[in-house]
Amino acid sequence: MGALSEIFWQQQSSLPLLICLQLLPLIGAAVVFAFKERSTAVIAGKVFALAELLLCIVATSRINPTLPALQLAERFDLIAYHVAVDGLSLIFLLVAALLTFLMTLYGMSRGMISPGRLFAVLLIAEAGLVGMLITVNLAWFCVFSALELWAVFYLLRRWASSRAEIQALARFIQYQAFGWALFAGGCVVLGWGYADASGGYWSFDLFELVGAVPPGKFQTAAFYLLFYGLAVRTPLFPLHGWLPNMAQHGLIAVAPALMVGVKVGIYGMVRFVLPLTPAAVQYWQPYVVGFAMAGIFFTAALAFQQTNLRRLLAFAVVSHTSLLVIGVFSLHESGIQGAILLAANFGLAATGMWFIVGFVFRRTGTTELHELSGLFERIPFLAIAFLGFGLAIVGMPGTPGFDAAHLVLEGAIDSFGALSTVAAALGNVVAAGFLLWAFQRAFLSPHKEGRELDVDRTLPMEYVVCGIALAAMLAIGVFTEPWLRLTETASQAVAGFIR
Amino acid sequence: MNPPLLSLLIFLPLGGAVSLWLLPARASRHVVALTLLLTLAVSAAVLLSFDPAGARFQLIERAPWIASLNVHYLLAVDGLSVLFLPATALLFLGSLVASWNLVTDAPRLHYSLLLLLQAATMGIFCALDTVLFFFFWELTLLPLYFLLGRWGVTASSGQAATRYFLIMLAAGIPLLIAFIVLATSQPILSFDLMALLATPLPHSTQTVVFLLCLLGFGVKVPLVPLHTWLPQFSLAAPGSLTALLVGLKLGVFGLIRFAIPLTPAVAQELHWLLAGLGTVTLLYGAVGILGQTNLRIALAYASICHVGLAVLGLASFTAQGVQGAVALLLSFTVATGGAFLLLEFLRQRTGSTDINALGGAAKTMPLLASGMLICGLAGVGMPGTSSFPGEFPLILAALQSHTGAGLAALFGLSIAAGGFLALYRKAFFGPVSRPEVAQAEDLRLRERVVLIALIVMIVGIGLYPAPWFDLIRPTAEAWAAGLNK
Repeated sequence: MGALSEIFWQQQSSLPLLICLQLLPLIGAAVVFAFKERSTAVIAGKVFALAELLLCIVATSRINPTLPALQLAERFDLIAYHVAVDGLSLIFLLVAALLTFLMTLYGMSRGMISPGRLFAVLLIAEAGLVGMLITVNLAWFCVFSALELWAVFYLLRRWASSRAEIQALARFIQYQAFGWALFAGGCVVLGWGYADASGGYWSFDLFELVGAVPPGKFQTAAFYLLFYGLAVRTPLFPLHGWLPNMAQHGLIAVAPALMVGVKVGIYGMVRFVLPLTPAAVQYWQPYVVGFAMAGIFFTAALAFQQTNLRRLLAFAVVSHTSLLVIGVFSLHESGIQGAILLAANFGLAATGMWFIVGFVFRRTGTTELHELSGLFERIPFLAIAFLGFGLAIVGMPGTPGFDAAHLVLEGAIDSFGALSTVAAALGNVVAAGFLLWAFQRAFLSPHKEGRELDVDRTLPMEYVVCGIALAAMLAIGVFTEPWLRLTETASQAVAGFIR
Repeated sequence: MNPPLLSLLIFLPLGGAVSLWLLPARASRHVVALTLLLTLAVSAAVLLSFDPAGARFQLIERAPWIASLNVHYLLAVDGLSVLFLPATALLFLGSLVASWNLVTDAPRLHYSLLLLLQAATMGIFCALDTVLFFFFWELTLLPLYFLLGRWGVTASSGQAATRYFLIMLAAGIPLLIAFIVLATSQPILSFDLMALLATPLPHSTQTVVFLLCLLGFGVKVPLVPLHTWLPQFSLAAPGSLTALLVGLKLGVFGLIRFAIPLTPAVAQELHWLLAGLGTVTLLYGAVGILGQTNLRIALAYASICHVGLAVLGLASFTAQGVQGAVALLLSFTVATGGAFLLLEFLRQRTGSTDINALGGAAKTMPLLASGMLICGLAGVGMPGTSSFPGEFPLILAALQSHTGAGLAALFGLSIAAGGFLALYRKAFFGPVSRPEVAQAEDLRLRERVVLIALIVMIVGIGLYPAPWFDLIRPTAEAWAAGLNK
């Protein structure tokens, strides 16, 4: 059995960094909101997003990744406020901050209604994400999750790109409310179990719950509720129904990036589910992995049938998320480490692809694959970037996907043997299949007669957004060492809870 | 401290690719030509500084890459790989010259992909760390996909590109898993080939690794029945690209460098599998030539036939066999690569490489026709050409170790020779019936340079093979001795 320990912020930094991380986007949202629709609102939004990213980098530089403890901890018992981070949460934090920053750049030239309001909501969503990633209290996790879901819901309702979004929105609410309720139910079960054991004192704090893991059926129930709550969010096959519709009708790029760019579902499994219900996790491991295996191929088969680029990407996300779950549920330190890094890689890459789809949509007004053709001639940089992100998802060497997938496979070989691993890895080939096919149809196919030839060239902002994302991918891909070091000890600590 | 020649081989093309984007587009071709010439010079320097009598691996460069996984940036050459470096450089140079005036469409992108491909190929031949090797191995896919998909010559080239990419990606999985199994079988996680070679593996691990490697490399070789991508690729790609793909025998190199030495006991137990696959591949390739009317597809089958022969020779597990295999592969790099370049010249003139659209081409294009004949004769192992010194010991080794397979190989080679000559006759002799052929002009100066270089190499090596063999022999003997430890 592993144990949790923490190091308080006073020993590591002169400032309580995590509360700053938490408050900065909220303050930013207030400031942006106060500026209303003046042009300063847009600038302020970008400045706050950038400041948050820098703050995340500072926090990363402050912790010592070789210690298994959660670090920079802050506690305020009156409201059960308890936050702490380790290498795993920092990876997700960095991705969240980077993606939000890119989204503020992306949103700029859109000619969108009320950009000030958009940026304010975006920063609120970021605050929700950051809150989920730094808290070690399940109740707070639920609260921040609700905050973020509200922000995404608001974005979808107000800025959806097509009129057919009513159904997508309803589907989104149904799924997410249900998933949230499952997770909250799981929290209640755990809190109740703790109250039973400690004589009536309720707690949702990870540090306290981990010492009093509920026995038997209680634990199974808690596992089921927590796992499926997160599975809706992740999204994991067969609970992915909300994503394709949202991706097709919702706000391109921003909404999917907020929901699946940062894989808080995977993070929640690693941070809470594995330590809190270790016996149930071990017992149900084969079922979870079986479903994930089926999910890789089932959703990949669906992806092949899509005629809309946005829906296709949505199924791609579901397919590769299954691979992440296989990594986590290998319950092996390499598998977990690989899954975390792969989650960051997928988040970055899939969001990059979504940005490009957004850029294409601005030019052509459609994302139907049969209406797109020959885009490579007009926007070669975006085409190459699209392919680059696709290859990162496939795990080509030189992208962060490679070392991460390699670690997942290592964990999987150890836990399930070579044969299942080969099957899981084939999922990558299938993913390469539909991504390349989509690339070929949209970008490389010869120009169709009668279609609008006049597609705008790549804009400077587009160079910047895709360039940053692509450069980040390649840099992480070639210099993987710091990221491996950041996550290694923390992954061992998580795996330690199971053995 | 010696200059890091091997790193230079990899980073020089990359630097060239970057500088393409900094200089004006019209200078692209010249920048690429300069880069390729420099690479050739560096590879010649590698050849000169390689001491055949010295240690097995030379010019070692080692730097930590991913320290926590014990992955290194580890480069070195031995006698089996050193000659592939200049051969690669030459082939790329030939490919550039052959497509000199053709790339008018986005030349900078085209040439930077070409240089990226060269860097990755050099990396494959030099990498001794399995992760680094795999990195370069997969890195070749990106430029090939793009070069074929974007600059292909048929309408279905995009499809061929995707298919090639997916097949190769799928083939990468067994390799990656084999490398991971190898690494975790060590006392400490290790991807270093020299360390892996020093530690014998348990029999069961060897079996898994050998079969996975055979599958992974077998697709690239290509061994029948994993060859299906090649004919389609050779039809869809411009000849200058096929020459690179077919000329570089990466799959067999992988077998020689990794699969067999790492799993010596199992490889020798399963000699029948290797020899059988080799023989089947050879016969299949030979018979495949017969039914073809398109010279490019026929040449693709001929190259399948060649690698079958090389794999059969390897299955003897003798120094003679591996030495012959390496020599043969090098010769085919020149001969098959050269033949594809010549076919590209032909296609540019007549618009086709189908024999039904040709006929009598030797009348209007005597130089091209004689070039094809010489390359073709080298392809069938005629004495006096560069293939003979490799093919002869190879067949001897095969006859000694697998007599039946060796006889079948001889039979297959004569079928291949017959098939080639029949095609050649239909394409180049007889009356001229097509206006395209009648109006075609013979090789221009630039193309003649390629032709002369080809002939010099094919005949020169064929008549005086000793210096090359001396480079290969010590390593080949060490390789064979390592199997029987």
